[in-house]
Amino acid sequence: MSSSSSSSSPSCPKKMITLKSSDGETFEIEEIAALQSKTLESMIDENCASTPVPLPNITGKILAKVVEYCTKHAEVGADAESLRAWDAEFVSVDHPTLFDYILAANFLEIPTLLNLACQSVADMVKGKTPDEIHKIFNIKSTFTPEEEEELRRENQWAFD
Amino acid sequence: MSPASEADNAEESKEGASSLLDLPELALECILEKLPPDGLLSMSGVCTALRDRCRSDYFWDKHMKQKWGRVIGPSAYKVWQLCLASRRDNGDSNQGKQKGLLRLFSLVWPCSWAGEKINIGQDQTCSLPHDSSVMSWYIALETGRFWFPAQVYNRENGHAGFMLSCYDAELSYDFRTDAFRARYPPHGRRAIALETGVTWERLRSPPVDTSPHDLHLSDCLKDLCPGDHVEIQWRRNKEFPYDAVVLEFNQYSAGSRWSRTTIDRRNHREEGNEADGFYGGIRKLRTDDDEISVWKRLWPTELLE
Repeated sequence: MSSSSSSSSPSCPKKMITLKSSDGETFEIEEIAALQSKTLESMIDENCASTPVPLPNITGKILAKVVEYCTKHAEVGADAESLRAWDAEFVSVDHPTLFDYILAANFLEIPTLLNLACQSVADMVKGKTPDEIHKIFNIKSTFTPEEEEELRRENQWAFD
Repeated sequence: MSPASEADNAEESKEGASSLLDLPELALECILEKLPPDGLLSMSGVCTALRDRCRSDYFWDKHMKQKWGRVIGPSAYKVWQLCLASRRDNGDSNQGKQKGLLRLFSLVWPCSWAGEKINIGQDQTCSLPHDSSVMSWYIALETGRFWFPAQVYNRENGHAGFMLSCYDAELSYDFRTDAFRARYPPHGRRAIALETGVTWERLRSPPVDTSPHDLHLSDCLKDLCPGDHVEIQWRRNKEFPYDAVVLEFNQYSAGSRWSRTTIDRRNHREEGNEADGFYGGIRKLRTDDDEISVWKRLWPTELLE
């Protein structure tokens, strides 16, 4: 009751599965935590998860964080408030890392992580002008000078 | 400086996604879905790829419904369609844009407004956007460039003659004050009246699809029981449009000549005379939404004569 990570009785050891990142690092994750990934869940159901699961799209650095996220969210008895705070901390990272979280969450089909990371990106965009967005995300404009002028004219009211 | 191509943006990211545009479609959609309207607007100004995505009706339908759902109805939509058609007819030249705007207003209110001088607003060179996307419509509403038909409760806010009434008007939003400008059509000897600072709770979209000039065919007479709430169309004389006016008879003192009027259920047609005005169609108020509570909120604090 006091432990935050284990809900199984002593006679049943926690079932773990092993994940392998693109750069060869391995990570252990409790099966119950892994179930948050629809991809891993179906592998577990089909008994394909007994050997290390290769994840060629995800680096060790990111996979470590994903494991951390899933483990935290599988905890029993965590209160909503502190979980929200933990999540906020989790996504206080630079945008390239956020994008990596998004890619991993997309590949592993973890809807809560995808949602969290996307919300974070949306929050970065809110209240910014197109020029500021260009700078933050290092995106180049692909508009012709005429299109730029028209855009500026039509949307001036919103950015005054 | 020549614009970058899409390939340039893609090449930035060889590993992982350092560019927003490298994210899977689902994720990008997830992000855009979470943006408020001004965020979507900003994103649409970043590059062509984002512009094409951000203009999708999929995102704007939601914002439209959330902010404008209660006051924008089928009649406003018809006016918008006319607006777009007029815009297309006038082509894309600057002069075309200006003429199109003026022609739109005379098209929509042919009877009484054609001769009026129309104040388009400070920015005379701005025009209504010309595509039929929900985004265009939303922006036209938000900027106040699009005047839409709706009804205003308690016209001129508390004026004794208009208590417990709901008048047809054209409205234009002012995003700076989050309130509306209302233009009421000419009424008897009153010229076009303009009211500013009309708040959201005083508006509704017209509940029936008839123009203010037509009698609403009362289809509810058989179902009326004592205690039902109704609205009645009322107009001053035969030449002017109907306004929907509630005659909840209890607001008048017992002796007042306004407190009662009889209606023949089988043959209800327009009744009345030049002195008191004409009673036209009757509409039973829906009990399943808050129509009745809105009227109750407007109930005058003292009895009227």
